[in-house]
Amino acid sequence: MKRRAILAFMLDRPGVLNKVSMLIRKKMYNVDTLTVCSSRKAGVSRMTITLREDDEAKVQQVIKQLEKFTEVVSVKELDTDHSYWREVAVVKLEVPASHLESFHGRYNFEVLEQKSADIHILQVAGSTRRIDSFLDEVGQEHVIEIARTGVTALEK
Amino acid sequence: MTGKHLLLRALKDKGVKYIFGYTGGAIMPIFDEMDKMGAFRFVMSRHEQGAAFMSQGISRASLSTGNPQIGVCMTTSGPGAMNLATGLADAYMDSVPMLAVTGQVATGVIATDAFQESDVVGVMMPICKQTYMPLAADEVEATVHEAFYVANTGRGGPILIDIPKDVQNSQVADDYQFEAKSYRPNLPGFYYHPTPEREPLQRAIDLINRSERPVMFCGHGVVNSNAGKTLLKFAEKVNIPIASTMHGLSAIPADHPLHLGMMGMHGTVEANRAISEADLLISFGMRFDDRVTGKLNEYAQNADVIHVEIDASEIDKNVATSVAINADVYRTLHVLAGDPMLTYKPRRRWFEKIEGFRQVMAEDLRQEIETGVGDDGKLLMKTIVHQLSELTDGQDLIVPDVGQHQMMAARFYNFQTENSWFASGGAGTMGASLPMAIGVKLARPDERVWSISGDGGFQMNAQELGTIMEQQLDVKIIILNNGYLGMVRQWQTLFFDGRYAGTPMQSPDFGLMAQAYGLPYRKVETLEDVIPALQQAIEHKGAIVLEFVCDPSEVILPMIPAGGGFEDMIVKRPGQQTPETSNSDGEKS
Repeated sequence: MKRRAILAFMLDRPGVLNKVSMLIRKKMYNVDTLTVCSSRKAGVSRMTITLREDDEAKVQQVIKQLEKFTEVVSVKELDTDHSYWREVAVVKLEVPASHLESFHGRYNFEVLEQKSADIHILQVAGSTRRIDSFLDEVGQEHVIEIARTGVTALEK
Repeated sequence: MTGKHLLLRALKDKGVKYIFGYTGGAIMPIFDEMDKMGAFRFVMSRHEQGAAFMSQGISRASLSTGNPQIGVCMTTSGPGAMNLATGLADAYMDSVPMLAVTGQVATGVIATDAFQESDVVGVMMPICKQTYMPLAADEVEATVHEAFYVANTGRGGPILIDIPKDVQNSQVADDYQFEAKSYRPNLPGFYYHPTPEREPLQRAIDLINRSERPVMFCGHGVVNSNAGKTLLKFAEKVNIPIASTMHGLSAIPADHPLHLGMMGMHGTVEANRAISEADLLISFGMRFDDRVTGKLNEYAQNADVIHVEIDASEIDKNVATSVAINADVYRTLHVLAGDPMLTYKPRRRWFEKIEGFRQVMAEDLRQEIETGVGDDGKLLMKTIVHQLSELTDGQDLIVPDVGQHQMMAARFYNFQTENSWFASGGAGTMGASLPMAIGVKLARPDERVWSISGDGGFQMNAQELGTIMEQQLDVKIIILNNGYLGMVRQWQTLFFDGRYAGTPMQSPDFGLMAQAYGLPYRKVETLEDVIPALQQAIEHKGAIVLEFVCDPSEVILPMIPAGGGFEDMIVKRPGQQTPETSNSDGEKS
């Protein structure tokens, strides 16, 4: 199914995030990630929602439902060609340091801490697919723990 | 000044006259202040749900008057607030603007599971248009003003304000200022489009001019924007028949030659068949819910759809539109009614066809109404509603409950007064009628109000007889008692092989109940007594309870089974093969 991203700006009032998550549950939308941060404008939150949906009408329905919130400032869909979708993963890996060497230059990661000869904590940034492919190449079996932020997106 | 005073000052500024509710620990300060101010008529319900429906009654009935009001109810925290939930969910489904004010435990004990603490905002958020919890006295007044603005802007809906007890009692700073007249809420992205854009309007006009078999839909939005007369003007100008949703009833005179009556599950044959064969549907202020469309993939397959609707999220939600007009129904109709490019077409063949549909059940219904009793000699609801309609010239205000009798009232009352039908539709809340009728009567005191319930629904909020007694309200109360939950029984007859699980019901002596509340009562068991009893109710000054003993096997037809398409429409009673053998009802119990 096609991955879609919806960017919503909402007044930062009590309960807005709760309303968004309730809407997702109530309408049974198939949401992958939901990230929230403050925006450049004081009192306005920035929310990025990614979901898997092929049906155009259903995506429009999500947007229209969000536009009904009294706290709404604006809502739009971001298409992949005209926006950047990025996330960050913090990963605890059990691999020999030499194994990691081969990924330098090919992936955008930073070693935050080397806890022992073969335990590393890494920060990897990039598109969801890029992070997935990094983890696949390193080997999922080496991952001890992982924390991913979920997608945030910006229009070009 | 205190939070409680500012709350009431704001309500007064917004023109609120009545407050419905029930006091308790967390709302006492506001009630006390209300008593001191003496600016409102307080109506004590006997259950908080009653207060919510009374508020709905005010909002629904007053919108067509020169003084539209938003109904306000007020309850305490915890169970007091929770008991409002059904009434608020009902208002949300039916786009009714109203305001619920609930007391909350003090901010210092919120989240400690204090006595009568419930997460009211959390519970009400998905069933209200907006919820608020002001945390300081200086937020209260602006919150109330914003609440009124939101409730009434675009599609109406219920608002809840949950006020902690300490916020009610706390003082604002000496330099507190609030200008009600110049206040504008700061909601930068919350707006709606009242005026239709020209481009879709032009495409709509082209489709209308080209269409051979169009049907116009009159939805709740026509009532809510007071557009009944404008709709008729437009329909007459282009000569297009009109089908109503249940909520659209009473927007136009029910017996207008262009009116096909109600559409949908229990709609008329002529409305539903016309929709099936239409090449164009022009729908005003409605949301194509499942009771209207039946099976979606079989719905109006050959028709283009023009959808005029104030709430953008309703457009293309259930039915794909050819032309979407996201605008106020009245303003759109006003433009259309005056548009010189629209042409009158005789549509003779279309109207002949529709007349044929009209005849499918006309004779059966006429005979049933005339016979007036079922096989067991008990009264038919449709006859009672028909007689009521005749005696009142279709002029009165009708507040049905939910169920079979509601569909009978929808189909057989000949509505002549604009905005005279007040029904729980989307939520279908049994027990809505009696309290809603109280609000309707207070909003329109000079008009006659009938609360019509079944024996089941009546007992769901029968405690509001106490409110009617105390407030000395002239509400005519009809109980159509068939000893069953009639609508469910009808489904059991048709789809559950006549097994009546959970539907037979023993009722109390309604006469003794009426007597307990000091209300006159009359039990009607014969056809001869129907008219005299209704006449007595009309002549009696004050509330009266009429109980009609009805035939449990009566069914409301036609019926499109839930999940079925228009082709599955049932037009004959169970066991009835032809009109000639229509005295057998195939009852299995």
